[in-house]
Amino acid sequence: MNALFFLVPIAVLLGAGFALAFLWAVRDGQYDDVDDAAERVLHDDA
Amino acid sequence: MSNATPTATAVHPCPHCGTPVAGPVGTYCCHGCEAAAEILGQAGLEGWYAARQQAAPRVGAVRPVDVAWDRLGVTPVSEGLVEATFAIDGLRCASCTWVCERLLERTDGVEDAHVSYATGRARVRFRADATDLGQVTQRVTGIGYTPRPVDDPGHPDRDLMMRLGVAAFAAANLMGLHIALYAGAFEGMDPRFVQLFRWMALLLATPVATWSAMPFHAGAVHGLRVGTVHMDLPVSLAVGLVSLHGLVATVLHRETYLDSLGMLVALLLAGRVLEARGRRRTAEAATRLAARVPRDARRVTEDGVEEVASDALQPGDRVLLALGDDVPADGVLAAGRVSAALAVLTGESRAVDLGVGDALVAGAVIEDGHGELVVTRAAGDTLLAGMARQLQEAADRPVPPTAADRLAPAFVSATLGVAVATLGLVGLSHGLDEAIARTAAVLVVACPCALALSAPMVGAAGLGAAARRGLLMRRPDALEALAQVDVVMLDKTGTVTGGRPEVVAADPEALRIAAGLARMSRHPVSQALLEAAVAQGVPIPVVDDGVEHPGLGLDGTLDGVGWTLRSGGAGIVRITAEDGPTHLIHLADRPRPEAAADLAALRAVVPDVRLLTGDHRGVAERIGADVGLEAVQAEVDPAGKRAAVIDAQQAGHRVLLVGDGVNDGPALAVADVGIAMQSGAASSVAAAGGVLVGDRLAPLVAGVRVGRLVQAAVHRNLWRSGTYNVLAVLAAVLGWIGPLTAAVLMPLSSGLVIASAAGLDGALRRQEEAT
Repeated sequence: MNALFFLVPIAVLLGAGFALAFLWAVRDGQYDDVDDAAERVLHDDA
Repeated sequence: MSNATPTATAVHPCPHCGTPVAGPVGTYCCHGCEAAAEILGQAGLEGWYAARQQAAPRVGAVRPVDVAWDRLGVTPVSEGLVEATFAIDGLRCASCTWVCERLLERTDGVEDAHVSYATGRARVRFRADATDLGQVTQRVTGIGYTPRPVDDPGHPDRDLMMRLGVAAFAAANLMGLHIALYAGAFEGMDPRFVQLFRWMALLLATPVATWSAMPFHAGAVHGLRVGTVHMDLPVSLAVGLVSLHGLVATVLHRETYLDSLGMLVALLLAGRVLEARGRRRTAEAATRLAARVPRDARRVTEDGVEEVASDALQPGDRVLLALGDDVPADGVLAAGRVSAALAVLTGESRAVDLGVGDALVAGAVIEDGHGELVVTRAAGDTLLAGMARQLQEAADRPVPPTAADRLAPAFVSATLGVAVATLGLVGLSHGLDEAIARTAAVLVVACPCALALSAPMVGAAGLGAAARRGLLMRRPDALEALAQVDVVMLDKTGTVTGGRPEVVAADPEALRIAAGLARMSRHPVSQALLEAAVAQGVPIPVVDDGVEHPGLGLDGTLDGVGWTLRSGGAGIVRITAEDGPTHLIHLADRPRPEAAADLAALRAVVPDVRLLTGDHRGVAERIGADVGLEAVQAEVDPAGKRAAVIDAQQAGHRVLLVGDGVNDGPALAVADVGIAMQSGAASSVAAAGGVLVGDRLAPLVAGVRVGRLVQAAVHRNLWRSGTYNVLAVLAAVLGWIGPLTAAVLMPLSSGLVIASAAGLDGALRRQEEAT
């Protein structure tokens, strides 16, 4: 059971890693225009 | 016709824009389209013609926008590389976007280009030493699309998205930790784990309560500073007090409500993000239309002509005007003849012919001819600038508070009163420990999550539903105002009629000759003649040695006979052959074909529809009769329109005004809801609370319906969340609600609100199917 003292915080830290990745993606502008990719895929590359 | 040349009988679509033209397959309708095809061919993009869903705009019909591209800012990216953003008008389909993007990419000096179909914007990176923005945008112009400068609004909702991301991450983990804690409370749990989980929960909740919830704290502080209490205050108070309780309780080894806190902030932020996205989309579309553009003027000096910014002009300056120019300042025509459209001022897009001594105003568009203008008023003193100022003042009126905001003060005082009373009374009867626990429960369940979510969620759903049907409203509260409208006033020009001359009577032979002559001209009458020929299936012949005499007419030789086309008085075009025969073609401003049906649908939801126009009584009544409207007020000037709106309001009506000219601006601004036509004057768009996309009135019907649904949903949600809050607070005071119950109740009440927003589109569709 003592392993949980490490495992639970590690799990939360892993989650925090994904949260940081999300922050990076937002900052990078990947969520600025979410409708565009759907249109774009139809036209790559004629 | 017996002597028709063989080429005049075959009709094929223009390969670029699809306009029917007489001639063998592959005949272009104008030089512009031919050049466009050449540009695409050189860039290796001719495959687009086979792949596209929609034909391109007719290059010859595109009015070149006169923009000082060089004066626009570009952002340096790295060594020698700059980036610029501009909008592209005329994108009709995804493949239009694609061809523009590829063409920009294959432009010398351009490193990277991205064109978004959703926003109609292009972002281009290019080497500043190899090309400039003027040359880059020229490529787009060359194939028939219209580039236009925009203010880059930055990235307004990135900030909210990041706060939401952190809140959602924390809320999910908080929930996991608390589920373990609740299970532990029933099943028994090692106290060391209880401690670990509680401290971790506190750690996770801290950024949520401070950074993620900052928009609510800021809103509350701002509200207090200007002396109003709106929905951010109870939210901010609840967040603050619950997190404070969480801190104290964690230190004292007690249960916390931090899981509810995380969920609360995440849900509210999700509502904010949705609202911001919906509003950005509609606002962008609306401001796109009202965009003011820096322009060049060509000033005549002693030793030639110099290019200056129109703002730098002085009274007395002489300015050259040519086809396609926007008049840069108010003034008097000193030389030449022009035909100018004053649509920006009057909403009438029919061009008027002007000679020496006639006055011109800034913003008018030269549709034909050339001349020289002596400036009388420039920059901020022009008529247009003055009107823009008035409209801006009207647009800056304070935003009316929403129903939830109106309830906020009572809500805050009631909640705080109950909390203080609980603390005092329970403290006396059950001791301080129990009192603090119950007070925290009161604050958690009383937090007006559902109430605060309701307006943004339902509003965003309503804006989206209206926008999909062609009505862009700027703000959700304008939708609610639309629900209460019981009188609709329509400006005739451009709302009911096309606002352009249309051919009403012509025999096919006359139309054939006229269209042949008109092919080389961009004058609105020529466009009307061409359109009529296309609509009636009359093949457009090729004219030899055609000449356009600006402001006067057209000459040309057809089948060996010389023809002249001249104005024959108001609404009449006269075409005369050199050997005698004369034809007359009649033109008039006519109701749009679908206007009668649209108006009937509109009167099914708002019976009182009135026509309000500056036109002569006879014309107005004829148009009213054509579309089935009896209530017609003719010969009304702008002040009269405003007065008519105010009269109706004083009679107790809520007025929706639909207009399209700057002259409608004052009336649009006083009406309960003002809606402008997309094709209307830019400043009427600025004054209006909403914009009709396209030129039909049908979206108004959807708008009124959406407004009524939004209003009903908001009221229903107020009742639901009000009832929930009263019951839940009572239960909390009595000590029946612990952290677990609160964690279950809160998402339930929010879920009801979200469901009512999600159901809005479906309810609207059912109404539409029922009619």
